[in-house]
Amino acid sequence: MSSARDDILGRLRQRIGREPAGAPAAHARVEQVIAASQAGPRPSYDGDLAARFIERAKALISTVDECAAPADVPARCAHWLIGQGLGRQVVVSPALAGLDWATSGLDVRIGAAGGDDPVGVTGCFRAIAETGTLMLCSGAQSPAVNSLLPQTHIAVVPREHIVADMEAAFAVARDAFERWPRALNFVSGPSRTADIEQTIVLGAHGPYRVHLLIVG
Amino acid sequence: MIKPPPGSRGEVGLFVTCLVDLMRPSIAFAALKLIEAAGYTPVVPDTQTCCGQPGHNAGDARSARALAQKLIAEFERFPCIVAPSGSCAGMIRAHYPHLFDDDEGWRARAEALAAKTFELTQFLADVAGVTEVPGDFVGAVTYHDSCAGLRELGVKRQPRALLDRMPGVEQRPLNECEECCGFGGLFSVKYPDISGAIAQRKCDNIRASGAGTVALGDLGCMMNIEGRLRRNGDEGTQVIHIAELLAGRLDPD
Amino acid sequence: MHFVSRVRQRLDDTELQRNLQRTRGRNAAARLASLASLDDFDAVRERATEIRASVLRDLDVWLERFEAEATRRGATVLWARDGDEACRLVIDIARRHDVKTVVKAKSMVSEEAGLNAALEAAGIRPVETDLGEYILQINDNEPPSHIIMPVIHKSKEQVSELFARVHGTAAKTDIVELTREAREKLRPEFLGAEMGISGGNFLIAETGSVAIVTNEGNGRMCTTMPRVHVALTGIEKVIPTLDDLATLLRILPRSATGQAISNYVSLLTGPKHEGDADGPEHMYFVLVDGGRADLIGGDFEPMLRCIRCGACMNHCPVYQTIGGHSYGWVYPGPMGSVLTPLYQGLEKAKDLPQAATLCNQCGVVCPVSIPLPDLMRKLREKQVDAGLRPWSERLSMRLWAWVAQRPKLYARGVRFAVRYLRWLADGRDRIQAMGVAPGWTAERDFPAPAAQSFRDQYAARQRRAGR
Repeated sequence: MSSARDDILGRLRQRIGREPAGAPAAHARVEQVIAASQAGPRPSYDGDLAARFIERAKALISTVDECAAPADVPARCAHWLIGQGLGRQVVVSPALAGLDWATSGLDVRIGAAGGDDPVGVTGCFRAIAETGTLMLCSGAQSPAVNSLLPQTHIAVVPREHIVADMEAAFAVARDAFERWPRALNFVSGPSRTADIEQTIVLGAHGPYRVHLLIVG
Repeated sequence: MIKPPPGSRGEVGLFVTCLVDLMRPSIAFAALKLIEAAGYTPVVPDTQTCCGQPGHNAGDARSARALAQKLIAEFERFPCIVAPSGSCAGMIRAHYPHLFDDDEGWRARAEALAAKTFELTQFLADVAGVTEVPGDFVGAVTYHDSCAGLRELGVKRQPRALLDRMPGVEQRPLNECEECCGFGGLFSVKYPDISGAIAQRKCDNIRASGAGTVALGDLGCMMNIEGRLRRNGDEGTQVIHIAELLAGRLDPD
Repeated sequence: MHFVSRVRQRLDDTELQRNLQRTRGRNAAARLASLASLDDFDAVRERATEIRASVLRDLDVWLERFEAEATRRGATVLWARDGDEACRLVIDIARRHDVKTVVKAKSMVSEEAGLNAALEAAGIRPVETDLGEYILQINDNEPPSHIIMPVIHKSKEQVSELFARVHGTAAKTDIVELTREAREKLRPEFLGAEMGISGGNFLIAETGSVAIVTNEGNGRMCTTMPRVHVALTGIEKVIPTLDDLATLLRILPRSATGQAISNYVSLLTGPKHEGDADGPEHMYFVLVDGGRADLIGGDFEPMLRCIRCGACMNHCPVYQTIGGHSYGWVYPGPMGSVLTPLYQGLEKAKDLPQAATLCNQCGVVCPVSIPLPDLMRKLREKQVDAGLRPWSERLSMRLWAWVAQRPKLYARGVRFAVRYLRWLADGRDRIQAMGVAPGWTAERDFPAPAAQSFRDQYAARQRRAGR
């Protein structure tokens, strides 16, 4: 009995009318399409990408704060969390371990979030102005769970990481990753569902709140 | 616009449609009057019957092709072909060419005919550039966009623009005016439960518009909507073809 | 049950009708509003259509490219000829990794395959985690009624009653509280399950990745927490590049729910890396044919462009009147009316291509330009060719065309029809019961025709005018 793979591909080849002799040319064509990847119609933004990002992020019910330098991040996080009555306990992605969390007044653990951690703090690979979306990549320094399990997610967004659209973010990623990360997560505001009577409820399975701290 | 002398703008082939021929001839007479008023000479080939749409929609491609060939032969000599029906004009414009995907000769003829076939209000507004209409209706009117006219031909603005030329007409918006009325040709007979429920929603919207009259461009949809209104005891709401409304009183002769 | 009886039942179900009307039109309005945030929707739609169409023209090669890339990056790619084979592969994977519980993100292919029943029979516990799918699962495995809003047919009161009964909790009336209750029930499942099964919105050949689009975050949970991830998708889901993904993501959420972007888009590539803080140790793809390959190169190939947004059903007058369960299989609405007969067999879904008004709202809103009404017409043709339509209908069509090709005979026929209908009307302006079309008069009056047909009146007028 032939394998399912051979069966399915064989049927496709037959339906397409692919002769064995034509296969190399088709493969070359496919490689060419990938190598010379063409973006489709992209939006054009005049003006400040960060302003656009912030406007779109707020429309997605993310909250936004800004600070001047990375050194300000721990204090700004503490200020916001305490102001919101969200407590002091945070789990911070290893990528941000170099910041001075000790003096922030927060109860900080560096690492990956568990099911009971109330607040997760992450960095952000890129941020997308078109839709107000975060692009997070998983890795040893950047656990995916920190933006997923806690009820509150704080993302630290370096201003220079804000790009126009997903295509621009992918262009950066292609250059940046020697090995593509297991997960690239695009996050656009808090988790939500509208399954019951199409009524939007925040915090379906992931965070109830997403707070963005723009740095720089 | 200066009124062109009668007949000075050439001939127009009028495809009456089988349903208008059988059920409501006044629509065709209204179309004749409007085409004449626009300065054209309407011609009605007397061998015309059906465009083939019932067969096309019932999966009987052979019948559809046979009737399409007949219609093409009857009408291709005219510079313009007009039908007082979005679905029949749509059949010719959007579907005829594809009936002959395997027959280059007929496909070319079908395409040529498609390119010069128009729904009535489309013809009046876009081709003839009519700025005066003879109708003298007085009252509130709402307009239902029949599916084929709207989505196959882009008929939307034209009937409303023509109604704007009638000082006595007050146009009222119709909620969900682009939603299907549930007619769907043989669908209405094969699935009466679904068709009736969809028609009911259309009737409710028409009544809610507050206009005592609903105008539209397809007799099939008219019969569906009017029949549903009457069945539910609404004797008051008038269902009128846009051609009848625009043409006004028809000479007895 | 026969389609017509199912429909009658749904039309008479006042609770269902109320639920359908409650949300009717909402997604259509949201979609329309969201298109404004694109500079040129038509250009994006055209591009999206071409991306999907171009892959189908070389689907064999794109699949091979995808497989090579996914494999190179550490995933295992498996192939299934049909749903049963897909179930067997998934069960094999589960057994290999000693899996007791599986958390599932929404996968329509798994519905096609009947995966949950197969897992249960194999002693593996599947847990649906999309809120809507979860509600259906605990309601005795009720099927979904919409491809992206599975419980659109239910009210919050029905969900409340169900939760109270199944969870043994106090009945809640608030949607926020109901959602919270499901979250709390499912959180331990995410943390405890050994395997996660996701569908896939797209497979990206460039990187060998699967893209999963969700709002709830359950897709992320299922693909992050368990140690095994299986992505179960149809073979038609491949797209070439990440740039193509960007294009399609401009149009999918807008068409589906009117969102500019869904909350979570996850691009998953291979298993976790050494040293990664989280992610599965094993990643599998199960690529399912299930009737898809047979559509390539034929009239129905455009159907494979479908990106499962649900816009066609959100805009369908029939779907919104009868609800998704009337359609009888996994896929409802216009896309279901085309797919069900193609995947399940023409003779198993005789009504679906017929029960459509061909209003073409679906074709107009389809983000990948699938000419759904044309495909339904083609299916009607196939039904006729296969002898699946009643002989009376075929005969009357033939007879109609035969007469309509003979103008003199036709004119006599029209004269007869006028007399007959006026006889039925019996002096009134309408007919209330008509033997030749009882379906019409069951729901509507039929007007009495004018005393003479147009052709007769016009001929007389021409004679009088001496023409």
